[in-house]
Amino acid sequence: MIKIKRIIKTREFIILCTILLLTFFISLYSKSFLRLENIKNIFMQVSSVAISAIGMTFIIITGGIDVSAGSIFGLSALTMAKLATSGINPIVSLILGALVGTLLGLLNGILISKIHISPIIVTLGTMSLWRTMIFFISGGRWILGIPSEALFFGTGTIGDFPFPIFLMIIFVIFFSYFSVKRPFARYIYAYGNNPEFLRISGINTSNVLLFTYTLAGFMYAISAFIVVGRTGIVQANIGTGYELQVIAAVVLGGTSITGGKGTIIGSFLGATMIAVISNGLIMLNVPALLENLILGILILVSVIADILSNRGETK
Amino acid sequence: MKNNIGVIVRDRNFILLMIFMGIFIYFTFTTSDFFSYYNIVNLTKYGVEIGLLALAETLIIISGKGGIDLSIGSILSLSAMTIGVLSGNIGLNIWIAAIIGVGVATLAGLFNGIAVSLIRIPPLLVTLSTMYIYDSLALLISMDKYGNAMPVSNFPESYFFIGQYEILNIPIQIFIIFIPIVIILHLLLSKTIYGKHLYAIGLNDKVARFSGLPNNKVRILAYTIGGFLAGIAALTMTSRIGSARPDLGANLNLRAITIAVLGGTSITGGQGTIIGTVIAIVLITFLNNGLQLSGVNPIWQDGILGIILIASAIINFIVYRTNSSRS
Repeated sequence: MIKIKRIIKTREFIILCTILLLTFFISLYSKSFLRLENIKNIFMQVSSVAISAIGMTFIIITGGIDVSAGSIFGLSALTMAKLATSGINPIVSLILGALVGTLLGLLNGILISKIHISPIIVTLGTMSLWRTMIFFISGGRWILGIPSEALFFGTGTIGDFPFPIFLMIIFVIFFSYFSVKRPFARYIYAYGNNPEFLRISGINTSNVLLFTYTLAGFMYAISAFIVVGRTGIVQANIGTGYELQVIAAVVLGGTSITGGKGTIIGSFLGATMIAVISNGLIMLNVPALLENLILGILILVSVIADILSNRGETK
Repeated sequence: MKNNIGVIVRDRNFILLMIFMGIFIYFTFTTSDFFSYYNIVNLTKYGVEIGLLALAETLIIISGKGGIDLSIGSILSLSAMTIGVLSGNIGLNIWIAAIIGVGVATLAGLFNGIAVSLIRIPPLLVTLSTMYIYDSLALLISMDKYGNAMPVSNFPESYFFIGQYEILNIPIQIFIIFIPIVIILHLLLSKTIYGKHLYAIGLNDKVARFSGLPNNKVRILAYTIGGFLAGIAALTMTSRIGSARPDLGANLNLRAITIAVLGGTSITGGQGTIIGTVIAIVLITFLNNGLQLSGVNPIWQDGILGIILIASAIINFIVYRTNSSRS
């Protein structure tokens, strides 16, 4: 147990060091990188990905995957925007938008846990379906003119502190506590390690999965409100490819894709690292298309490093 | 156990065929020009390209250990762009450019295979990262001197032979590309030692390894063939539309996986047939065509694909349960 803890600790420590190193090198070449305004920008970007990554982390810990994240994200945002622009109270619109996200997550969970379809197939199917719904409802047009009260997830402040960053910190702290201290979180980890064992112990395993996917759906909706709040518009292609960014952040953060291992802090650091890189590239005037190349190589390198360190452990 | 699986696979193909017949008859009666020549030609042309990618996914998913390829569409983009840049911007002979383009795709598949087998990274992660990498490379080589990604569309007339000609009103790529590849892959999986090995490592990797099978070689080859097929799809596509763009394969990754799974390829590996995937390809192509002619908005194509995928999984669950309760 202590050994495992030590590995996880070093893993997060490595990412943190990498982020600091990157920051150091980028700030050598770019004067404005370490300005408060820019750091705020980076964490605004991190906040939406990190909140979704919390949900995705639990899913991947159970050994599952969710490729419908971007579509759920989009449909929640669209619901909220459609309602808010058609004169419904902004708060009610937000609640209904979050409800849509939560219900779509629940639906994934039902199909996966009750009908025993594999997560990749369920979420592939729901991804296509909700993506179509987004195009159908929006008619391919952008939604503009969302009332400002409905945008506070992106624009709001607590004193001088941006609300989305505050929300992210609260979520990260709460779910880190949850994943370490609560017995239910132990079931999530146990399910990822050995679902059969958990079933034999008399735990209702389908509830574990239901909770995980439903929570994730809710988180995607919150992330969507942050992004829509910052941009003020809902595009017809909102959230396309978003799931891959989130999965990348989770994997970089050291969550094992085969399940049973991972931390919320790690995923938060993974999201931070991606945001630092993409922001740094803009600061250094590097063409944006290099960003994905670097991201791809980064995922490979981090996973290979993980495999090598684990091999060392087993020997 | 084996019998059971056989029954389910057969059942599945039977179910798919039934669905297909139903759709076919329905559209034949309800839409006046369902059989119109222009439509059939257009839809088969697109079906060939997505079909090749679905066949690639079939092999890769059968190979097991979480086998999946999220980068298949990105390999298509990279390969298409390679052909475009070499022939259009550098002025290489188009056929040499095409061979190099397919070669690049094959190497991309080989790289996936090596990362999965030798470095033992889960396929989902390998292909997630290579999806980013191949997409970026496709954009990189298509950049002009101002840093904008540019499509290439000055192919010579002779190149359009593959994608734009017809024999007896049937697109030529059916005869010279799709049917031969389907026959070869079918024989490969059902009649050769390699096919037996592929199913064996997909069903149970450990057992296969202890029986002395060359697991790594077999799996690497599956990913490599997958890359090669994506290259052929790139060749067909660039010839059909007469241009190469760095985003040609965007959104095709998940569609190809969906069609393979719909055709009865089990996501856990070791199960699936070329015939099943071909039936799924034909089914989806006809369905999309029928929808288009009935005046349904084309955006519903993906949505209906998603519904059919989940519905068929639920049917499978019911069939499997009744089967297992019987035995």
